[in-house]
Amino acid sequence: MRKADEQGFREFAAANAASLRRTAYLFCGDWHTAEDLMQSSLMKMYLAWKRIKDLDNLIAYARKVLLRTWLDEKRRPWRRAEQRDGELPDAADATSDPDTTGAKLWARELVHTALLQVPPRQRAVLVLRYFEDLSVAEVAVAMGCTEGTVKSQTARGLATLRTIVEKLDNSSGRVAS
Amino acid sequence: MSEQEIREGMLLAVWDEPPLDFDPDTLIRRVEQKKSRRRALVAVGVATAVIAVASFSLPGLLPRENRDSQLAADNQTSASPAPAEAAEKKAQRIGDRLAASLGARTPSFKEIYASFGPGRNAVYRTQQTQPPEWRHDEKEYSGFLYLTDGIGPTALQVTVSRRTFTKNNYCAGAPLCQEVKQKDGSTVHQVEQVYASPQVQQASVAREFDSGLIVEISSFAYNPSNGVGQRETVPVRVGVLTDLVTDPDISWE
Repeated sequence: MRKADEQGFREFAAANAASLRRTAYLFCGDWHTAEDLMQSSLMKMYLAWKRIKDLDNLIAYARKVLLRTWLDEKRRPWRRAEQRDGELPDAADATSDPDTTGAKLWARELVHTALLQVPPRQRAVLVLRYFEDLSVAEVAVAMGCTEGTVKSQTARGLATLRTIVEKLDNSSGRVAS
Repeated sequence: MSEQEIREGMLLAVWDEPPLDFDPDTLIRRVEQKKSRRRALVAVGVATAVIAVASFSLPGLLPRENRDSQLAADNQTSASPAPAEAAEKKAQRIGDRLAASLGARTPSFKEIYASFGPGRNAVYRTQQTQPPEWRHDEKEYSGFLYLTDGIGPTALQVTVSRRTFTKNNYCAGAPLCQEVKQKDGSTVHQVEQVYASPQVQQASVAREFDSGLIVEISSFAYNPSNGVGQRETVPVRVGVLTDLVTDPDISWE
Protein backbone atom coordinates (compact mmCIF):
# COMPACT_ATOMS: atom_id res chain seq x y z
CA MET A 1 0.00 0.00 0.00
CA ARG A 2 1.23 3.48 -0.80
CA LYS A 3 2.31 5.71 2.07
CA ALA A 4 -0.44 8.23 1.36
CA ASP A 5 -3.13 5.54 1.40
CA GLU A 6 -1.71 4.09 4.59
CA GLN A 7 -1.76 7.51 6.21
CA GLY A 8 -5.38 7.97 5.08
CA PHE A 9 -6.35 4.67 6.69
CA ARG A 10 -4.46 5.55 9.85
CA GLU A 11 -6.38 8.81 10.18
CA PHE A 12 -9.72 7.15 9.49
CA ALA A 13 -9.07 4.37 12.00
CA ALA A 14 -7.92 6.73 14.73
CA ALA A 15 -10.95 9.00 14.22
CA ASN A 16 -13.60 6.27 14.18
CA ALA A 17 -12.27 3.47 16.38
CA ALA A 18 -14.05 4.69 19.52
CA SER A 19 -17.48 5.13 17.91
CA LEU A 20 -17.20 1.74 16.18
CA ARG A 21 -16.35 0.12 19.49
CA ARG A 22 -19.39 1.72 21.15
CA THR A 23 -21.67 0.41 18.40
CA ALA A 24 -20.04 -3.00 18.67
CA TYR A 25 -20.61 -2.95 22.43
CA LEU A 26 -24.32 -2.36 21.93
CA PHE A 27 -24.37 -5.25 19.48
CA CYS A 28 -22.60 -7.75 21.72
CA GLY A 29 -22.81 -6.35 25.27
CA ASP A 30 -19.14 -6.90 26.10
CA TRP A 31 -16.34 -4.35 25.80
CA HIS A 32 -13.61 -6.89 25.07
CA THR A 33 -15.60 -8.53 22.31
CA ALA A 34 -16.52 -5.07 21.08
CA GLU A 35 -12.85 -4.13 20.79
CA ASP A 36 -12.11 -7.37 18.92
CA LEU A 37 -14.99 -6.71 16.53
CA MET A 38 -13.82 -3.16 15.93
CA GLN A 39 -10.26 -4.29 15.21
CA SER A 40 -11.39 -7.13 12.93
CA SER A 41 -13.56 -4.69 10.99
CA LEU A 42 -10.73 -2.20 10.60
CA MET A 43 -8.39 -4.99 9.47
CA LYS A 44 -10.85 -5.97 6.78
CA MET A 45 -11.12 -2.35 5.73
CA TYR A 46 -7.34 -2.01 5.60
CA LEU A 47 -7.12 -4.99 3.25
CA ALA A 48 -9.72 -3.40 0.97
CA TRP A 49 -8.57 0.19 1.49
CA LYS A 50 -7.27 0.67 -2.05
CA ARG A 51 -10.76 -0.11 -3.37
CA ILE A 52 -12.89 1.67 -0.78
CA LYS A 53 -10.86 4.74 0.14
CA ASP A 54 -12.74 6.95 -2.30
CA LEU A 55 -16.23 5.98 -1.13
CA ASP A 56 -18.51 8.90 -0.23
CA ASN A 57 -19.55 7.59 3.18
CA LEU A 58 -16.74 5.54 4.62
CA ILE A 59 -18.16 5.40 8.14
CA ALA A 60 -21.38 3.88 6.76
CA TYR A 61 -19.26 1.25 5.05
CA ALA A 62 -17.37 0.69 8.32
CA ARG A 63 -20.68 0.15 10.18
CA LYS A 64 -21.72 -2.35 7.52
CA VAL A 65 -18.44 -4.26 7.92
CA LEU A 66 -18.80 -4.17 11.70
CA LEU A 67 -22.32 -5.55 11.53
CA ARG A 68 -21.30 -8.34 9.16
CA THR A 69 -18.30 -9.18 11.31
CA TRP A 70 -20.48 -9.44 14.40
CA LEU A 71 -23.17 -11.52 12.66
CA ASP A 72 -20.47 -13.82 11.22
CA GLU A 73 -18.93 -14.16 14.63
CA LYS A 74 -22.29 -15.08 16.15
CA ARG A 75 -22.89 -17.74 13.51
CA ARG A 76 -19.67 -19.58 14.25
CA PRO A 77 -20.41 -22.75 16.18
CA TRP A 78 -17.07 -22.66 17.92
CA ARG A 79 -17.59 -19.07 19.06
CA ARG A 80 -16.14 -18.64 22.49
CA ALA A 81 -18.74 -17.21 24.79
CA GLU A 82 -17.68 -15.72 28.06
CA GLN A 83 -18.94 -17.60 31.09
CA ARG A 84 -20.64 -15.04 33.25
CA ASP A 85 -20.91 -17.05 36.45
CA GLY A 86 -18.03 -15.47 38.37
CA GLU A 87 -18.39 -13.24 41.42
CA LEU A 88 -17.75 -9.57 40.70
CA PRO A 89 -15.92 -7.62 43.43
CA ASP A 90 -18.42 -5.53 45.37
CA ALA A 91 -16.58 -2.21 45.82
CA ALA A 92 -17.99 1.31 46.12
CA ASP A 93 -17.35 3.76 43.26
CA ALA A 94 -16.24 6.96 44.95
CA THR A 95 -16.46 9.00 41.78
CA SER A 96 -20.08 8.16 41.03
CA ASP A 97 -22.86 10.74 41.39
CA PRO A 98 -25.70 9.26 43.45
CA ASP A 99 -28.29 11.30 41.55
CA THR A 100 -27.41 9.82 38.18
CA THR A 101 -26.28 6.38 39.26
CA GLY A 102 -29.79 4.96 39.25
CA ALA A 103 -30.39 6.02 35.64
CA LYS A 104 -26.99 4.75 34.54
CA LEU A 105 -27.50 1.41 36.20
CA TRP A 106 -30.91 1.14 34.57
CA ALA A 107 -29.27 1.86 31.19
CA ARG A 108 -26.63 -0.76 31.77
CA GLU A 109 -29.32 -3.22 32.70
CA LEU A 110 -31.14 -2.26 29.53
CA VAL A 111 -28.15 -3.26 27.44
CA HIS A 112 -26.98 -6.29 29.36
CA THR A 113 -30.30 -7.86 30.00
CA ALA A 114 -32.98 -6.47 27.74
CA LEU A 115 -31.19 -5.57 24.54
CA LEU A 116 -29.14 -8.77 24.56
CA GLN A 117 -32.35 -10.80 24.62
CA VAL A 118 -33.57 -9.20 21.40
CA PRO A 119 -32.74 -11.33 18.32
CA PRO A 120 -29.49 -10.23 16.63
CA ARG A 121 -30.85 -8.58 13.47
CA GLN A 122 -33.60 -6.77 15.38
CA ARG A 123 -31.00 -5.66 17.90
CA ALA A 124 -28.79 -4.37 15.10
CA VAL A 125 -31.66 -2.36 13.66
CA LEU A 126 -32.44 -0.84 17.04
CA VAL A 127 -28.81 0.13 17.67
CA LEU A 128 -28.37 1.65 14.24
CA ARG A 129 -31.69 3.51 14.36
CA TYR A 130 -31.62 4.81 17.95
CA PHE A 131 -27.94 4.88 18.93
CA GLU A 132 -26.36 5.82 15.61
CA ASP A 133 -29.41 7.91 14.66
CA LEU A 134 -29.43 6.57 11.13
CA SER A 135 -32.39 6.95 8.81
CA VAL A 136 -34.34 3.91 7.64
CA ALA A 137 -32.60 4.15 4.26
CA GLU A 138 -29.14 4.24 5.84
CA VAL A 139 -29.92 1.27 8.07
CA ALA A 140 -31.18 -0.62 5.01
CA VAL A 141 -27.86 0.03 3.27
CA ALA A 142 -25.87 -1.04 6.33
CA MET A 143 -27.90 -4.22 6.75
CA GLY A 144 -28.13 -5.02 3.06
CA CYS A 145 -31.93 -5.28 3.10
CA THR A 146 -34.94 -3.27 1.98
CA GLU A 147 -36.37 -0.30 3.87
CA GLY A 148 -39.55 -2.28 4.47
CA THR A 149 -37.55 -4.96 6.22
CA VAL A 150 -35.87 -2.33 8.38
CA LYS A 151 -39.26 -0.93 9.39
CA SER A 152 -40.70 -4.33 10.24
CA GLN A 153 -37.55 -5.37 12.13
CA THR A 154 -37.65 -2.08 14.05
CA ALA A 155 -41.27 -2.61 15.03
CA ARG A 156 -40.63 -6.20 16.11
CA GLY A 157 -37.44 -5.22 17.92
CA LEU A 158 -39.20 -2.45 19.84
CA ALA A 159 -42.04 -4.77 20.78
CA THR A 160 -39.62 -7.43 21.99
CA LEU A 161 -37.59 -4.87 23.94
CA ARG A 162 -40.68 -3.38 25.59
CA THR A 163 -41.87 -6.82 26.62
CA ILE A 164 -38.51 -7.69 28.15
CA VAL A 165 -38.19 -4.32 29.93
CA GLU A 166 -41.72 -4.71 31.27
CA LYS A 167 -40.81 -8.12 32.66
CA LEU A 168 -37.67 -6.67 34.22
CA ASP A 169 -39.66 -3.85 35.82
CA ASN A 170 -42.21 -6.29 37.18
CA SER A 171 -39.59 -8.59 38.64
CA SER A 172 -37.70 -5.66 40.23
CA GLY A 173 -41.03 -4.37 41.58
CA ARG A 174 -41.71 -7.77 43.13
CA VAL A 175 -38.28 -7.77 44.68
CA ALA A 176 -38.80 -4.23 46.07
CA SER A 177 -42.14 -5.05 47.56
CA MET B 1 -41.08 2.77 27.04
CA SER B 2 -40.76 5.43 24.35
CA GLU B 3 -38.26 5.59 21.52
CA GLN B 4 -36.66 8.60 23.22
CA GLU B 5 -36.12 6.55 26.38
CA ILE B 6 -34.49 3.80 24.36
CA ARG B 7 -32.23 6.34 22.66
CA GLU B 8 -31.19 7.86 25.99
CA GLY B 9 -30.79 4.44 27.53
CA MET B 10 -28.37 3.37 24.84
CA LEU B 11 -26.35 6.56 25.19
CA LEU B 12 -26.19 6.06 28.95
CA ALA B 13 -25.23 2.42 28.47
CA VAL B 14 -21.83 3.43 27.12
CA TRP B 15 -21.12 6.06 29.77
CA ASP B 16 -18.68 3.79 31.61
CA GLU B 17 -16.75 3.01 28.45
CA PRO B 18 -13.23 1.76 29.31
CA PRO B 19 -10.33 3.76 27.89
CA LEU B 20 -9.51 2.85 24.32
CA ASP B 21 -5.96 1.71 23.79
CA PHE B 22 -5.96 1.61 20.02
CA ASP B 23 -2.92 2.11 17.80
CA PRO B 24 -3.51 2.04 14.03
CA ASP B 25 0.18 1.23 13.42
CA THR B 26 -0.09 -1.94 15.50
CA LEU B 27 -3.18 -2.92 13.56
CA ILE B 28 -1.44 -2.31 10.22
CA ARG B 29 1.54 -4.35 11.39
CA ARG B 30 -0.76 -7.23 12.38
CA VAL B 31 -2.50 -7.15 9.01
CA GLU B 32 0.82 -7.20 7.16
CA GLN B 33 2.02 -10.15 9.26
CA LYS B 34 -1.23 -11.96 8.56
CA LYS B 35 -0.84 -11.29 4.84
CA SER B 36 2.69 -12.64 4.73
CA ARG B 37 1.66 -15.70 6.76
CA ARG B 38 -1.20 -16.33 4.36
CA ARG B 39 1.13 -15.98 1.37
CA ALA B 40 3.55 -18.47 2.91
CA LEU B 41 0.69 -20.85 3.63
CA VAL B 42 -0.57 -20.58 0.06
CA ALA B 43 2.94 -21.18 -1.27
CA VAL B 44 3.31 -24.30 0.86
CA GLY B 45 -0.12 -25.51 -0.25
CA VAL B 46 0.63 -24.95 -3.91
CA ALA B 47 4.01 -26.68 -3.60
CA THR B 48 2.39 -29.64 -1.87
CA ALA B 49 -0.30 -29.85 -4.52
CA VAL B 50 2.27 -29.68 -7.33
CA ILE B 51 4.35 -32.43 -5.75
CA ALA B 52 1.27 -34.60 -5.21
CA VAL B 53 0.06 -34.12 -8.78
CA ALA B 54 3.53 -34.69 -10.21
CA SER B 55 3.99 -37.87 -8.17
CA PHE B 56 0.75 -39.33 -9.45
CA SER B 57 0.72 -38.09 -13.02
CA LEU B 58 4.36 -38.25 -14.04
CA PRO B 59 5.65 -41.79 -13.71
CA GLY B 60 9.03 -40.57 -14.91
CA LEU B 61 9.55 -38.99 -11.51
CA LEU B 62 9.35 -42.36 -9.78
CA PRO B 63 12.49 -44.49 -9.39
CA ARG B 64 12.89 -46.42 -12.63
CA GLU B 65 14.22 -49.55 -10.96
CA ASN B 66 10.99 -49.91 -9.01
CA ARG B 67 8.89 -49.44 -12.08
CA ASP B 68 10.91 -51.97 -14.06
CA SER B 69 10.76 -54.56 -11.32
CA GLN B 70 7.04 -53.94 -11.23
CA LEU B 71 6.93 -54.35 -14.99
CA ALA B 72 8.89 -57.58 -14.75
CA ALA B 73 6.46 -58.87 -12.17
CA ASP B 74 3.59 -57.94 -14.45
CA ASN B 75 5.24 -59.73 -17.36
CA GLN B 76 5.62 -62.91 -15.35
CA THR B 77 1.92 -63.12 -14.81
CA SER B 78 0.90 -61.74 -18.16
CA ALA B 79 0.05 -64.13 -20.98
CA SER B 80 1.20 -61.76 -23.73
CA PRO B 81 4.25 -59.68 -22.82
CA ALA B 82 5.04 -56.64 -24.92
CA PRO B 83 8.58 -57.09 -26.26
CA ALA B 84 8.72 -53.68 -27.95
CA GLU B 85 7.97 -51.98 -24.68
CA ALA B 86 10.51 -54.18 -22.92
CA ALA B 87 13.27 -53.22 -25.38
CA GLU B 88 12.55 -49.54 -24.90
CA LYS B 89 12.39 -49.97 -21.14
CA LYS B 90 15.68 -51.82 -21.10
CA ALA B 91 17.36 -49.11 -23.15
CA GLN B 92 16.00 -46.47 -20.79
CA ARG B 93 17.12 -48.41 -17.75
CA ILE B 94 20.62 -48.76 -19.13
CA GLY B 95 20.64 -45.07 -20.00
CA ASP B 96 19.62 -44.12 -16.48
CA ARG B 97 22.26 -46.40 -15.01
CA LEU B 98 24.92 -44.92 -17.30
CA ALA B 99 23.90 -41.43 -16.21
CA ALA B 100 24.11 -42.40 -12.53
CA SER B 101 27.47 -44.10 -13.05
CA LEU B 102 28.94 -41.12 -14.91
CA GLY B 103 27.63 -38.75 -12.24
CA ALA B 104 29.25 -40.82 -9.51
CA ARG B 105 32.59 -40.89 -11.28
CA THR B 106 32.70 -37.24 -12.29
CA PRO B 107 30.76 -35.20 -9.70
CA SER B 108 31.59 -31.96 -11.53
CA PHE B 109 29.23 -32.95 -14.34
CA LYS B 110 25.67 -31.65 -14.06
CA GLU B 111 22.39 -32.40 -15.80
CA ILE B 112 23.34 -35.91 -16.82
CA TYR B 113 20.68 -37.91 -18.60
CA ALA B 114 20.40 -40.38 -21.45
CA SER B 115 18.12 -40.60 -24.44
CA PHE B 116 18.11 -43.63 -26.72
CA GLY B 117 16.30 -44.58 -29.87
CA PRO B 118 16.10 -47.78 -31.92
CA GLY B 119 18.79 -48.55 -34.47
CA ARG B 120 22.55 -48.33 -34.47
CA ASN B 121 22.75 -44.80 -35.89
CA ALA B 122 22.21 -42.17 -33.23
CA VAL B 123 19.93 -39.43 -34.53
CA TYR B 124 20.53 -35.75 -33.81
CA ARG B 125 17.74 -34.53 -31.67
CA THR B 126 17.21 -31.52 -33.97
CA GLN B 127 16.62 -33.88 -36.88
CA GLN B 128 14.04 -35.88 -34.99
CA THR B 129 10.56 -34.78 -35.97
CA GLN B 130 8.59 -37.48 -34.18
CA PRO B 131 9.18 -39.98 -31.38
CA PRO B 132 11.17 -43.06 -32.46
CA GLU B 133 9.21 -46.26 -33.08
CA TRP B 134 10.60 -49.31 -31.35
CA ARG B 135 10.11 -52.55 -33.26
CA HIS B 136 9.09 -55.73 -31.50
CA ASP B 137 12.37 -57.47 -32.28
CA GLU B 138 14.59 -54.48 -31.69
CA LYS B 139 18.11 -55.63 -30.75
CA GLU B 140 20.09 -52.51 -31.53
CA TYR B 141 19.76 -49.06 -30.10
CA SER B 142 21.82 -45.92 -29.80
CA GLY B 143 21.67 -42.42 -28.45
CA PHE B 144 23.41 -39.88 -26.30
CA LEU B 145 24.39 -39.50 -22.72
CA TYR B 146 23.95 -35.77 -22.17
CA LEU B 147 25.99 -33.85 -19.63
CA THR B 148 27.06 -30.32 -18.75
CA ASP B 149 30.60 -29.69 -17.59
CA GLY B 150 32.55 -26.52 -16.82
CA ILE B 151 32.66 -25.61 -20.51
CA GLY B 152 29.03 -26.23 -21.33
CA PRO B 153 26.57 -28.85 -22.47
CA THR B 154 27.81 -31.80 -24.52
CA ALA B 155 27.17 -35.53 -24.85
CA LEU B 156 28.71 -38.97 -25.14
CA GLN B 157 27.58 -41.14 -27.99
CA VAL B 158 26.39 -44.65 -27.10
CA THR B 159 25.73 -47.43 -29.59
CA VAL B 160 24.64 -50.99 -28.84
CA SER B 161 24.68 -53.06 -32.01
CA ARG B 162 25.59 -56.35 -33.60
CA ARG B 163 27.64 -54.84 -36.37
CA THR B 164 30.75 -56.47 -37.71
CA PHE B 165 33.62 -55.27 -35.58
CA THR B 166 37.26 -55.28 -36.66
CA LYS B 167 39.97 -53.96 -34.44
CA ASN B 168 42.00 -52.59 -37.35
CA ASN B 169 39.19 -50.40 -38.56
CA TYR B 170 38.39 -49.26 -35.04
CA CYS B 171 41.98 -48.27 -34.32
CA ALA B 172 42.87 -46.82 -37.72
CA GLY B 173 45.29 -43.91 -37.28
CA ALA B 174 44.91 -43.83 -33.50
CA PRO B 175 48.00 -43.08 -31.38
CA LEU B 176 46.39 -45.06 -28.54
CA CYS B 177 44.80 -48.42 -29.26
CA GLN B 178 44.69 -51.15 -26.68
CA GLU B 179 42.45 -53.95 -25.61
CA VAL B 180 41.61 -55.24 -22.14
CA LYS B 181 40.18 -58.69 -21.57
CA GLN B 182 37.33 -58.93 -19.10
CA LYS B 183 36.54 -61.75 -16.69
CA ASP B 184 33.36 -62.64 -18.51
CA GLY B 185 35.30 -63.22 -21.74
CA SER B 186 34.39 -59.95 -23.39
CA THR B 187 37.05 -57.58 -24.70
CA VAL B 188 37.22 -53.82 -24.23
CA HIS B 189 38.98 -51.88 -27.00
CA GLN B 190 40.25 -48.43 -26.09
CA VAL B 191 41.04 -45.83 -28.71
CA GLU B 192 42.06 -42.19 -28.59
CA GLN B 193 42.35 -40.06 -31.72
CA VAL B 194 44.07 -36.67 -32.01
CA TYR B 195 43.55 -35.95 -35.73
CA ALA B 196 46.67 -33.76 -36.04
CA SER B 197 45.67 -31.80 -32.96
CA PRO B 198 47.86 -31.45 -29.87
CA GLN B 199 45.05 -32.81 -27.69
CA VAL B 200 42.74 -35.80 -27.84
CA GLN B 201 39.83 -35.16 -30.21
CA GLN B 202 38.01 -38.44 -29.80
CA ALA B 203 38.04 -41.12 -27.13
CA SER B 204 36.16 -44.35 -27.74
CA VAL B 205 35.75 -47.69 -26.07
CA ALA B 206 34.06 -50.73 -27.58
CA ARG B 207 33.13 -53.77 -25.55
CA GLU B 208 32.95 -56.86 -27.70
CA PHE B 209 30.89 -59.72 -26.25
CA ASP B 210 31.20 -63.31 -27.34
CA SER B 211 27.58 -63.19 -28.46
CA GLY B 212 28.51 -60.62 -31.08
CA LEU B 213 27.05 -57.69 -29.18
CA ILE B 214 29.15 -54.52 -29.51
CA VAL B 215 28.74 -51.68 -27.04
CA GLU B 216 30.50 -48.49 -28.02
CA ILE B 217 30.77 -45.27 -26.03
CA SER B 218 32.55 -42.32 -27.59
CA SER B 219 33.53 -38.90 -26.41
CA PHE B 220 34.30 -36.11 -28.90
CA ALA B 221 35.81 -32.64 -28.84
CA TYR B 222 32.38 -31.39 -29.88
CA ASN B 223 28.81 -32.22 -28.98
CA PRO B 224 27.86 -35.26 -31.09
CA SER B 225 24.17 -34.81 -30.33
CA ASN B 226 23.97 -31.63 -32.40
CA GLY B 227 27.32 -31.33 -34.16
CA VAL B 228 28.31 -28.04 -32.52
CA GLY B 229 30.03 -27.00 -29.30
CA GLN B 230 33.62 -27.42 -30.48
CA ARG B 231 36.11 -27.55 -27.62
CA GLU B 232 39.84 -28.18 -27.22
CA THR B 233 39.56 -31.77 -26.09
CA VAL B 234 37.11 -34.46 -25.08
CA PRO B 235 35.10 -34.12 -21.83
CA VAL B 236 36.08 -37.65 -20.67
CA ARG B 237 38.81 -40.01 -21.76
CA VAL B 238 39.02 -43.76 -22.16
CA GLY B 239 39.43 -44.43 -18.43
CA VAL B 240 35.96 -43.15 -17.57
CA LEU B 241 34.47 -44.61 -20.74
CA THR B 242 35.88 -48.02 -19.80
CA ASP B 243 34.38 -47.72 -16.35
CA LEU B 244 31.02 -47.01 -17.93
CA VAL B 245 31.11 -49.84 -20.43
CA THR B 246 32.24 -52.34 -17.77
CA ASP B 247 29.87 -51.15 -15.02
CA PRO B 248 28.82 -54.42 -13.30
CA ASP B 249 25.36 -53.02 -12.63
CA ILE B 250 24.61 -52.78 -16.35
CA SER B 251 23.61 -55.97 -18.12
CA TRP B 252 24.19 -55.12 -21.76
CA GLU B 253 23.18 -58.48 -23.11
